[in-house]
Amino acid sequence: MNLTRRKMGLLLGSSLLFTPALVRAEAARMKAFEGTTLNLLAVQFGSHAALWSQVPEFEAATGIKVNIEYAPFENTREKTLLDMSSKTGRFDLFTVDIMWLAEYAAAGYLEPVAKFIADPDLTSEDYDVNDFIPRVFSGTGVYNDTMYNVPFDCGTVGTMFRADWMAAAGIAVPKRFDGSFTTARMTEICAALTDPAKGQAGYVTGPQRWFWGWMFTPLMYAFQDPAKAGNEFVNEAWEVTINNEDNLAALEFYLGLKQFTPKDDLNYGYAEQLAVYQQGKAAGSITYTGFIGEHYEGADLPIKGRNVALHNPIGPKGRTDPFFGAWGLSISVDSKNKEAAWLFVQWITHKERLRKACIGGNPAVRHSTFQDPEYQAAQPWGADLYDYMVRTANPDERIRVPEWAEISEIMGLHGNRAWGGEITAEQALAAMQSEMTAAFKRGGYYRNGAQNPRQLWRDLAYYDRNPADWS
Amino acid sequence: MPDAFGAAPKVAIQNRRWFPWLLMGPTLLILFVVGIFPFGYSIWLASTNIILSKPYLDTWFVGLEQYQSLIQDPDFFNALRITLVFTGSAVFLEFWAGLGLALLFRRQIRGKALYRLAILLPMVMPPLVVGLVWKYMLFPNSGLISYYANALAGLIGVAPPTFLNEPGSALQTLIFIDVWQWTPFMFLILHAGLAAIPPEPYEAAEIDGAGAWRVFWTITMPMLKPAILIALVIRTMDAFRTYDQIAVLTAGGPGNATETLNIWLTNLAFRFFDVSKGAALSLIIFVLILIMSTIFIRILSRSRIDEGK
Repeated sequence: MNLTRRKMGLLLGSSLLFTPALVRAEAARMKAFEGTTLNLLAVQFGSHAALWSQVPEFEAATGIKVNIEYAPFENTREKTLLDMSSKTGRFDLFTVDIMWLAEYAAAGYLEPVAKFIADPDLTSEDYDVNDFIPRVFSGTGVYNDTMYNVPFDCGTVGTMFRADWMAAAGIAVPKRFDGSFTTARMTEICAALTDPAKGQAGYVTGPQRWFWGWMFTPLMYAFQDPAKAGNEFVNEAWEVTINNEDNLAALEFYLGLKQFTPKDDLNYGYAEQLAVYQQGKAAGSITYTGFIGEHYEGADLPIKGRNVALHNPIGPKGRTDPFFGAWGLSISVDSKNKEAAWLFVQWITHKERLRKACIGGNPAVRHSTFQDPEYQAAQPWGADLYDYMVRTANPDERIRVPEWAEISEIMGLHGNRAWGGEITAEQALAAMQSEMTAAFKRGGYYRNGAQNPRQLWRDLAYYDRNPADWS
Repeated sequence: MPDAFGAAPKVAIQNRRWFPWLLMGPTLLILFVVGIFPFGYSIWLASTNIILSKPYLDTWFVGLEQYQSLIQDPDFFNALRITLVFTGSAVFLEFWAGLGLALLFRRQIRGKALYRLAILLPMVMPPLVVGLVWKYMLFPNSGLISYYANALAGLIGVAPPTFLNEPGSALQTLIFIDVWQWTPFMFLILHAGLAAIPPEPYEAAEIDGAGAWRVFWTITMPMLKPAILIALVIRTMDAFRTYDQIAVLTAGGPGNATETLNIWLTNLAFRFFDVSKGAALSLIIFVLILIMSTIFIRILSRSRIDEGK
C-alpha cells in the first residue's frame, strides 16, 4: 500500500480523534449499571477459585457489586431448582452443570443469551465468541436450539494411575489417547498393583449411589457396539434400552474391578475414593480432568508428579468413551438485572480473564487458552484434551433430557446395590430399565402429541456450529 | 384495672363478642400461618400431581392416587421398616443407658457435677455438627476412629470394621451415634424423676429386708413410670423424625439400607422434586406419629389414673 504523507497524517489524526472516544464509550458501557448488585449461586470447586478471584476487578471497573454464594456440588441442583421454582429472582446468575441444563431450560428458568451476545452495548468488541470451541460452547449452552449457558469449564472423566508404581513394577506406562489403555489392560494393571499385604488396592472408585451418573456412564459408552451408538439409554422411539448386552458387559466389568478395590468401599463417594488414592493406598482412581490440578497435582500433595492421567479405557469393541463435562454461567429468567448480569458473564468469560483463570487451575474452554504456552505449562493434562474436545467429546453422553438427574439417581441406587452384592448385574439393569421407563412416563414422553427433546447425540455435527451463529 | 372495690372492669356487652377474638387474634394468626395453612396446603398438594422441576407438565386433581402409589411402593415399606428399626433400637438403648447413668448418679460420686456436664455435652451439639464430626472420625483410613480401628483389627488379625460402608453396619453405626447423642436426654429426665421419689418407700423396703433387685422393680420403676413415659414419648417422636445425621453420614446409602422415611421424603421432594408425592408422604408420616403419640398419651394417662388410685 502506497501511503502518502497526507494519508498517514489523516490516519494518525483520526486515530487520535477516535481512540479516546472508543475508550470513553467502553468506560461508559462498563459503568452503565453502576450501583447494581448481582447475586450468583456458584458451585464450590477449588478449580474455579482463580476465576472468581477476578471478581473484585469487575466490581471496580463497573461499580456493580457481585455477591457469590457457594454451594457444595451435592446440593447445587437442589438449591438452584428451589430458588428458580420460587420465581423470586433472588439469584441473578447460576453456575449450571451441562447435565442439568435441559431440566432448567425446559422449565423456562433460564434467560436466552444470544441477544446479549449480539448487542454491542452489552458485549465487548473483543469478546470474540468464536474463540470458544464450538462443541464446548454449543454443548454447554444449547437446549432446544436456544443458547442459555456460557461455558467456563469443560473436561472429561478419566482414570489416574500411579506412574511411579507402574514403573517400579515393570509395567509400561500408557500415554493418554495412545490406544494402548484398554479395559483388558486396565484389569492387568490393577491386578499387578493390588497388594493386600501392604494394604494397597489396585484401584479405587466411588460406587456410592449418588455418583454413578459420571463414574459408570463412561464405561457404558466404552463397551457399546459402535454400530449401535446412540442407543445407550433410549432408542429413537424413546423406549429405554439400558438393559442391553453391551451395558451388561460394562456393568460386569465395573463390578469385576471390585476385586482390586478397598473392601469397605460400598459407600465411597468422590471424596472418599480421592482420599484413599492421595494416601497412597490405591494405584488407580477415577477423576474429572478439571480436578487434577487441585486433587492430584496440587503443590502440597505427596503424590504430585507421580501420576499419569489417562482417558477411560477403550472398550472391547474398540470404542473410546466420549464423556463431556462442563459448567457454564446462566442468567435467571426472573433476574431484575439481566443486562448487568450479562455484562458480568461476558466480562468473566472474556478470553483474557479465562486465560488468567486457567493458568490458575480453571479448565480451558477457548481455542486461545488451549494454545497459550503458560496454560500448557500449568495444566499439561488439560492442554492435551484439545483435540478430544474439538472432535470426540459427546455433549449428550449424559443424554440431554430434563430427566437426567432422575436417571442418574436410578442408576446409582441399583448400581450401588449390585456393587454390594445385594442384586446381580442383570437385576440391576432390569430395575434401571423399568424405573427409567416410569420416569419418562411421568415426564409425558409416551403421551399422544408429546413434544419430546431432539436426540441430538445421534448427529454431533449439530454442536459444531460457529458460536456466533446461535440465535 | 380493678375499681375501688376490687372488682374486675366490665367490658361493655356490645364489645364482649369481639374482645376475646382481639386478644386471641395474634396467636390465631400465627397458628394459621405456621400451622393450619401449611397443613391445608400439604393436603391440597398431595391431591395433585405437581413436579416442581417440570412446570410445563399438565397438573390435575388426582384424589388419593398419591397415597395409593406410595403404599404400593416397596420403597415405602423398606423406609418404614428401617425407620422403625432405627427408632426402636435407638430409644431402647438410650433408655437403658440413660437409666443406668441416672441410677449411678444417685450415689455420692466425687466430681459429680463435672461428669454430669461431660455427659450432657453431646446433647447440646446440633445434629448436623454431630453428623459432620462422626463423618470425619469414620472417614475411611484417615478418620480418627477408622485409623485406630483398622490398626487394632490388623493387630488381632480380624477384618477391619466397615462402619458406614456396609448395609448392616451402616444402620448400626447410625443407631450408635444417635445413642451417643441422646442418652444424655434420657439421663436428664430420669435423673430428675429419680430425685422426685420420696425416701420413705426405700426406708420401708430396707426395714422389710428387700434386696436391691426387688427394690428396683417394685419401688423405683413403678414410681419412675411417669418420667419414663415422658422421656420415651419425646425420644420416640424425635428418633422417628431423625434427618440431619443420616443425611450427612450416609444420605440413605449404601443402596437404600439407611433410607428412613424422612430421607426418602427428602429425596422425593428435593431430588425428584415430586412435591405432591412428598406432601402425601409427609401426611402419612404425620398420621404415623399421631398414632404413636396417641398410644403413648393413653398409656401415660392410664398410669396417672393408677397413681391416683
